[in-house]
Amino acid sequence: MSAKGIRGNPELRRGVGSKTTDSEKIMEDPPAGDWLALRSDQLLKWIDDAVYNASEATGMREVVDRVTRPIFNFAQRFSPHPLHFGIMCCAIEMGQASAPDHDIDRLGLVYRSSPRQCDVLIVNGPVCEKLRPKLKTLYEQMPEPKWVIAMGECAISGGPYWDSYSVVAGADTFMPVDVYIPGCPVRPEALMHGFLTLQKKIREKEPGMFLRRE
Amino acid sequence: MDFSDLHKQLKSMEGVSKVSHIRKNVIKLDLEKSVSKVFFTKLKDDFYFEHCSLITAIDNQPDFELVYHLSCLSGELSVDGTKMSAMVEVHIHLQRDSPSVDSVSDLWFGANWHEREAFDLMGIYFIGHPDLRRVLLPEGFAGHPLRKDYVYEIHEEEW
Repeated sequence: MSAKGIRGNPELRRGVGSKTTDSEKIMEDPPAGDWLALRSDQLLKWIDDAVYNASEATGMREVVDRVTRPIFNFAQRFSPHPLHFGIMCCAIEMGQASAPDHDIDRLGLVYRSSPRQCDVLIVNGPVCEKLRPKLKTLYEQMPEPKWVIAMGECAISGGPYWDSYSVVAGADTFMPVDVYIPGCPVRPEALMHGFLTLQKKIREKEPGMFLRRE
Repeated sequence: MDFSDLHKQLKSMEGVSKVSHIRKNVIKLDLEKSVSKVFFTKLKDDFYFEHCSLITAIDNQPDFELVYHLSCLSGELSVDGTKMSAMVEVHIHLQRDSPSVDSVSDLWFGANWHEREAFDLMGIYFIGHPDLRRVLLPEGFAGHPLRKDYVYEIHEEEW
C-alpha cells in the first residue's frame, strides 16, 4: 500500500509506529508539569526579569529610561491606534468623530482592524455575557503597552442594563480600564476629550524602555 | 381562492376554534396542540402560506401561548376579488408543566431560529427540531429569563 493510502486511513496510521494495541503497554505522555517544560511565556518572563534585574543592579535602567522616555512617550502619545470595534450606539458616535466635522485623525488616531496592530481598546457599548470572553481575547491579543477606554454608561457600569441577566455590570469587572467617558451616547467631543485625557495620562505615567506598568 | 372560502375551510378543520377576521386580510384562530403538524402542513401545501413571519411565545401565567404569524405573499388568495397578500394568526395554548409542541422548521426553514429563540428565552420545547440550542444567551445559562417566574440572583443588594 502506498504511503498516501496509509496517511489517509487513521486505522492504518496507528499501526505504523507501534505494533501493540494493548493500552497497558503503550507509554503515556509525560505529565505537562511546570518543572518539565519551559513554556514560551515562562521563557519571556524569565528574560524580562533577568534584563530588568541586571539593568536595575547596574544602574542602567535609570539612564536608559531617562534617555528613551521622551522619545517613546512622544510616539505613544501622538499615535494611539484604537481597535475598530463597535458594540452599540456609541460606535456610531465613534464613526462620527472620524468624520470631517470632528476630524479626530488630527490627534493621530488611526483605526486598525486587527488587535495585533492596536494599543487602545474602546469598549463602546454593553458587554454581554456572551461577548465577554471574546472581548477579553481581543484585549489579550493587543501588544503592550495597551490602554482601555470605557466609552458610555453601558461600558462604565452597565448603564440602563445594570441589573440585566445577560449584561456585565461594567467593563472594569474583567479588564483594567484607564479612561472613563460618561455620556449616553458619548458625543464626539467627549470622545476627543477622552483621548486627550489618555494622552495626559501617558505623558505623566508611562516610563521609558523598561516598561513596568504597576 | 377567495378569502371567505378560506375562512369556511379553516372553520371546518379539526382542532380549530374561534376563527375570526381581525382585519380585512388577517384571520385569527385558536388551534389544538395535538393537530398542529397536520394543520400547518395543510396550510402550507393547500393554502399557499409559504412564509413564516413570526413565532412568538407569551407567558400568560399560568399557561404559555404560542403565536404563529404565517403569510401568503404570492397573490394566490384574493379578498373581494382583489389579489392581496394575506396572513393567518395561529394561537396555540400550552400547559405550564410540559410546554412542548411539534416543530415546524421542516416546513418553513426560517422558523428554525424563531423556535430556538422561543426555547432560549421562554423554555418551550419543539419536538423534532434539528438543532435546539440557545441562540442569544451563552451555553450553560441556567433558566429561561423571559418567564414571569424567573428570578436572577445577581444584583440583590439594595440601592
